[in-house]
Amino acid sequence: MEDTFVVAGRELRSRLLTGTGKYSSFDVMREAVLASGCELVTVAVRRIDLDAPGESIVDYLPDEVMLLPNTAGCATAEEAVRVARLARAGGLPDWVKLEVIPDQRYLLPDPVETLRAASLLVEDGFTVLPYVLPDPVLAKKLEEVGCAAVMPLAAPIGSGRGLKLRHTIEIMVEQAEVPIVVDAGLGAPSHAAACLELGADAVLVNTAIAKAADPVEMARAFRLAVEAGRAARLAGLIEELETASPSSPVTGLV
Amino acid sequence: MTVKVNGRSLEATPGETVESLLSRLGLLARYCLVERNGEPVERQAFAQVRIDDGDRLVVARPTAGG
Repeated sequence: MEDTFVVAGRELRSRLLTGTGKYSSFDVMREAVLASGCELVTVAVRRIDLDAPGESIVDYLPDEVMLLPNTAGCATAEEAVRVARLARAGGLPDWVKLEVIPDQRYLLPDPVETLRAASLLVEDGFTVLPYVLPDPVLAKKLEEVGCAAVMPLAAPIGSGRGLKLRHTIEIMVEQAEVPIVVDAGLGAPSHAAACLELGADAVLVNTAIAKAADPVEMARAFRLAVEAGRAARLAGLIEELETASPSSPVTGLV
Repeated sequence: MTVKVNGRSLEATPGETVESLLSRLGLLARYCLVERNGEPVERQAFAQVRIDDGDRLVVARPTAGG
């Protein structure tokens, strides 16, 4: 049986989601998205500059990927709801990666406003994937209001520091009844593999791919790492020991 | 009549639809996100919704983001 995970009834084969920000060009972004094998990509929503509309990112995204609009830039529940409704009315999917972030230095999400926005958006028919600090109690509350997945950060957005908040993410994974998608802070494919090994359903990666020296190759590396991490999770990792355990026979020495 | 689009004052024809205005500005696209006086306008309704003098429009679209 194929190993997939399901968000709001949609079956996803790829456990790697990617962001579309920070690429040197839309061409490179497109090639990286293709190399990543991802099925969901995040996009932001911004006003068009009437003086210089420029090209649309949508023209560069493969037809087969689903767009996941985010609410980046919103600091309150009302702002996030406004952006999500605007995106849906304009033809984007009724899915939203909910970000409510009042803090510009660490870009840490506001849990109270996030929960409030999630509740309003679910009531309005959205499929909501909230970006949160890894807080198992908050995750349960988000589940209770009807969120389709929860997206805890591994480390601050764009920091590349890896799985700094491992322990609470492990608790979230243990308790979750919706998919857990680790989002933000992953810097290396090994970080992504570690997330899948500990049981996360998927990861979302942007900066580590977009800002790599070769983003297309890095996208491929993350795809392989996510596959490896998931395979390891299914295969069952050994328990860690305090002392050594010899791999060669200890008898019959010559 | 005058309307504001993304904060800029523009001349519009009385009775002009959202679709006509966007088309004139070269902004019509597959995903075209419009808010009129604070309320989102459904993509399918662009050809029916007529703009009035003094309307405030926000025109947005998907862009690169994480």
